[in-house]
Amino acid sequence: MSRSKSVRQSMAWLHTWSGLVVGWVLFAIFVTGTASYYRPEISSWMRPELSEAVSDPVAAATSAGAFLRKTMPDAMGWSVRPPNAENPAVEVYWWQSPGGPFHHALLDPSTGERSKVRDSRGGDFLYRFHFELNLPPIWGRWIVSACAMVLLIALVTGIVTHRRIFADFFTFRRDRSAQRGWLDAHNVVGVLALPFHLMIVYTGLVTLSSMLMPWPVLTAYQGNGLRYYAEAGLMIAGRPPAGRPGTALPLGEIVARAIAATGQTPEVVMVSGPGDAAATVTAYFEEPPGLAHLHPQIAYDAATGAEIGRIGEAGAATRTGAVMVGLHEAHFAAAPLRLLFFLCGLMGAATVATGLVLWTVARAPKGADPDGFGLRLVRVLNLGTIAGLPAGLGAYLLANRLLPVDLDGRAEWEVRGFFAAWILAAIASALYPRARAWPLALIVPAFAFLAIPGVDALTVGEVRFLGFDAAMAGLGLLLAVGARLTARPRQNRTRAILHRAAEA
Amino acid sequence: MTIPALVLSLLLGFSGFAALALSLDRHHRAVFRTPMRGKRVGGLRAVGWAGLALSFAAAVASAGWSFGPVQWIGSLTGSALAVVALIAYRPTWLRAAALAALPLAALDLPLALLR
Repeated sequence: MSRSKSVRQSMAWLHTWSGLVVGWVLFAIFVTGTASYYRPEISSWMRPELSEAVSDPVAAATSAGAFLRKTMPDAMGWSVRPPNAENPAVEVYWWQSPGGPFHHALLDPSTGERSKVRDSRGGDFLYRFHFELNLPPIWGRWIVSACAMVLLIALVTGIVTHRRIFADFFTFRRDRSAQRGWLDAHNVVGVLALPFHLMIVYTGLVTLSSMLMPWPVLTAYQGNGLRYYAEAGLMIAGRPPAGRPGTALPLGEIVARAIAATGQTPEVVMVSGPGDAAATVTAYFEEPPGLAHLHPQIAYDAATGAEIGRIGEAGAATRTGAVMVGLHEAHFAAAPLRLLFFLCGLMGAATVATGLVLWTVARAPKGADPDGFGLRLVRVLNLGTIAGLPAGLGAYLLANRLLPVDLDGRAEWEVRGFFAAWILAAIASALYPRARAWPLALIVPAFAFLAIPGVDALTVGEVRFLGFDAAMAGLGLLLAVGARLTARPRQNRTRAILHRAAEA
Repeated sequence: MTIPALVLSLLLGFSGFAALALSLDRHHRAVFRTPMRGKRVGGLRAVGWAGLALSFAAAVASAGWSFGPVQWIGSLTGSALAVVALIAYRPTWLRAAALAALPLAALDLPLALLR
């Protein structure tokens, strides 16, 4: 008996401390990842000049190919995303070496020149922040992976620690002590979305598995990782460069062949070794309906347009992995299901946030004892992250509307706005009087989000953004409700006393 | 994976979770202001699990075996959250809401299965 108690206690200890040390990073990962479910919507809102009209992908690909030939004829690779309903501009990347830098441009499909739309990273910034934290990619990915690994520990130990997972399934005692209320809230958002939490952290690690555990492939393929990818049915085996210049067909010609072969416009076409006589164009198509994240691919000879190969049949392991990645990204989810994924993501962020707050509430000294340094530090970091990050997000969207459209390095200024607002909000929240710190800290992002519809109406004012603006107002209201709830501890305490008196 | 299909799963899951919550003494007291009598527990539990099972069946019937379970688990989170919110803020509404969800589910059924 006492033995099982000690196991539970040590699990509780592990849950508490593993959750605390990575909590702030996890909160940011959850919030930006949840926002990434609406990455295309965020991107199109942040590039309002793009019309929704979809132009001819064949002509657009040809003019994009001409642009890239002019810009970097000796590139190692080009990537062209033909216009589609989600992104009506042509998006091109080009690079000189596999490690980058990856140059990026949006092209006007009708002229093939750089598009006149405002320069913005759109939803891509939040998406990349979700797993790279705006650090050098490899560093960011390792840090995010380490945090995800610790989250997996925190989830499992949390389940073991939770003594009454079924009996307390529906229990949220908001009228008792503050600690009871926060614990119940932490349990409710954690347990009700537990399948999502376990799925998202595990599949998230799977998306980075080749970086986390490269050894099986390195050993089995003696360092020739590309052969593994070809054999696993993940990509088409490449051709060595011919070493002499060649002339390629217009890129649109290849896109036309890909459309004729499949009846589908490719999502992306990649040219490897453009300018070389053995240049290859690979067309990537959208995932067929299903949970798996596997893009059909066809490779063409850039000079003749002859089909070189198609992606092989994926084996069971590849398909299992692809289903996990698919579940993580939820590209398959139509609007209603995507909303549920979004809700679950918010509950994940809420689980982290309530856990962090609970840590401080449970350790608040009774009576007149002074707060220790550790407690004050955690409090300040909590305020700065949980209220500061939403302030940064609001500023990111507002900066998109308020910065001059032709500002130099505009996309970078939006990102600077995001971090500046986050840092300022965090510093300010550290200076608020303690009793009112949470309502004051939360009302700032609440106003930022509530301001978005108005600012959008004054600067762009297009009917098609009404839904997005309404969603931002909804998030603002949610933050305002949070500010209001945290502003009433005294009333809660009175109610708790009354409640206890009534029960006695 | 249409909206009516998801709504059907949500409604059935909501009624099921409401019955399961009411089978717990603490919530039964909060909603009915009377302690639980012995026989009722079994009945409420049976209704509750039946609701969750029907919700699963609805998800699989409308979305198939690969999307259905994903949709079902997502909808369970949503409907359980609604039950918790009602118990915490408007406990006396829970019974009426759980009962009202059933005819709504019946009305929604043809829309959900129409693909």
